[in-house]
Amino acid sequence: MALPLPPGLLPSEVNFLCEMELVTVVPRQRLDPIELLSGKTPALRPPYRADIPLWLALLLKKQRRANIVPPPWLHPSSLGEIVHHETHVDPGAFSAPPPVPSRADPSNPGTARVPVYGDAAMTLSPPFVPSNTSSAPANLLPYHWFEMSEVLLAHAGDDIPASGEVRRLVRDLQEVRAAKMREGMVSLGSGGGVTNLKGVGGMELAEGRGFILGVVDGVRRIGAGAEVSRREEEEEQELHGRAGGGRGDEEEDEEDDDDDEDMGF
Amino acid sequence: MSYYDIDAILTEAERVPATFNHTIPLLGYLDNSPSLKAGTTVPLPLWLAEMLALASAGPSQQHSQESTSFTSLTLPSSLSTSVSQALKADPRAVALRDQSAHFYALGVRMLDLFEEPELGDVLRRTFVTRAGDVVMHARKAGSGTDDALGVGAQGEEFLRGLEEWERQLFRRAHDGAKGRREWMDGVKN
Repeated sequence: MALPLPPGLLPSEVNFLCEMELVTVVPRQRLDPIELLSGKTPALRPPYRADIPLWLALLLKKQRRANIVPPPWLHPSSLGEIVHHETHVDPGAFSAPPPVPSRADPSNPGTARVPVYGDAAMTLSPPFVPSNTSSAPANLLPYHWFEMSEVLLAHAGDDIPASGEVRRLVRDLQEVRAAKMREGMVSLGSGGGVTNLKGVGGMELAEGRGFILGVVDGVRRIGAGAEVSRREEEEEQELHGRAGGGRGDEEEDEEDDDDDEDMGF
Repeated sequence: MSYYDIDAILTEAERVPATFNHTIPLLGYLDNSPSLKAGTTVPLPLWLAEMLALASAGPSQQHSQESTSFTSLTLPSSLSTSVSQALKADPRAVALRDQSAHFYALGVRMLDLFEEPELGDVLRRTFVTRAGDVVMHARKAGSGTDDALGVGAQGEEFLRGLEEWERQLFRRAHDGAKGRREWMDGVKN
């Protein structure tokens, strides 16, 4: 009997991953470093800010021992900017994720640094990129934007400036992006058969995974027969090409182009 | 496709029109006549019609030279030109379930048997266009704002016309949206 769970992560599991993200807090009490598997948390010394994992920040916030500093992108002006970008500037794509840390090697221009295991600068993906701390860039949505904003609005609403407006903008953004994801699926049938999911957040993927896979699988099944006959044709042509002692390169290139268009999905 | 896949079995039970190339005695009850004459068209389930169309039965009476199969197949009415024209005009307006409960699955089987690249194009475009609407309704359904389903009269009409693949898609999309909504409701605790 198969596991009665759909493929992919459940929303609660995405939320769990999101709780590993670092957030900036302003502590109200001192707290010594805690030894964790991922290393030591920084010592909390009021009034100095520190970056700690979200789950710990939420715990301290509930105990009124710290205030959470919302990340810069969770500000009404930043969110308004992103909504404007998504609806007017670039309505075809999702807003870009924050840039990955530079991998350039300053001592040897033109080359990348050699990755060293455990090097903090070499962690390139969430939740290890500090994209939710107070030093994160504004106007760029990190991977866990939806979970982070929901959790912060629910538990630390009093720390977020203009939380009512932020809540409204997050809802707007969610609707805009869900509509975009649907349009992306529809374009699978007509355009080049590709859709761009760059910049889509974790929770959006968890929600949309079922139907995205369903649509892609349906398109694949409908096109399977045509694909098989196309491949056979290609193989036959290749055989003929070899038997005929090869043709001009230009001619072959042209044929390749035609085939690509014929594929149509 | 699994042997026990109920959808595959039901797809194979769909009727397709098959024209007999031979006069066959004692099979007349299929057509209410003493014996089944060559040239009669009888709707047969796909699994049977396919076998008869692919198997060779020796020289036929009509074309005595070449050896032909028992039957020759034509496209079922659910995949006829009029349906594909209507789908080309507006994929959303056609109630696919009235044509066939396994419309796409049947279409894929027929595409294997017939060389119809245009029909494949129409099927693909129909599927993705309708999928967009299916997902939109699935997201809205159950959020409990205006009416019971939350889709309105026109949406209800559309959802009633969904065939099996689309119903599955609706369920998956709805499960995703439901999971996210439940998580959002529980985030405060």
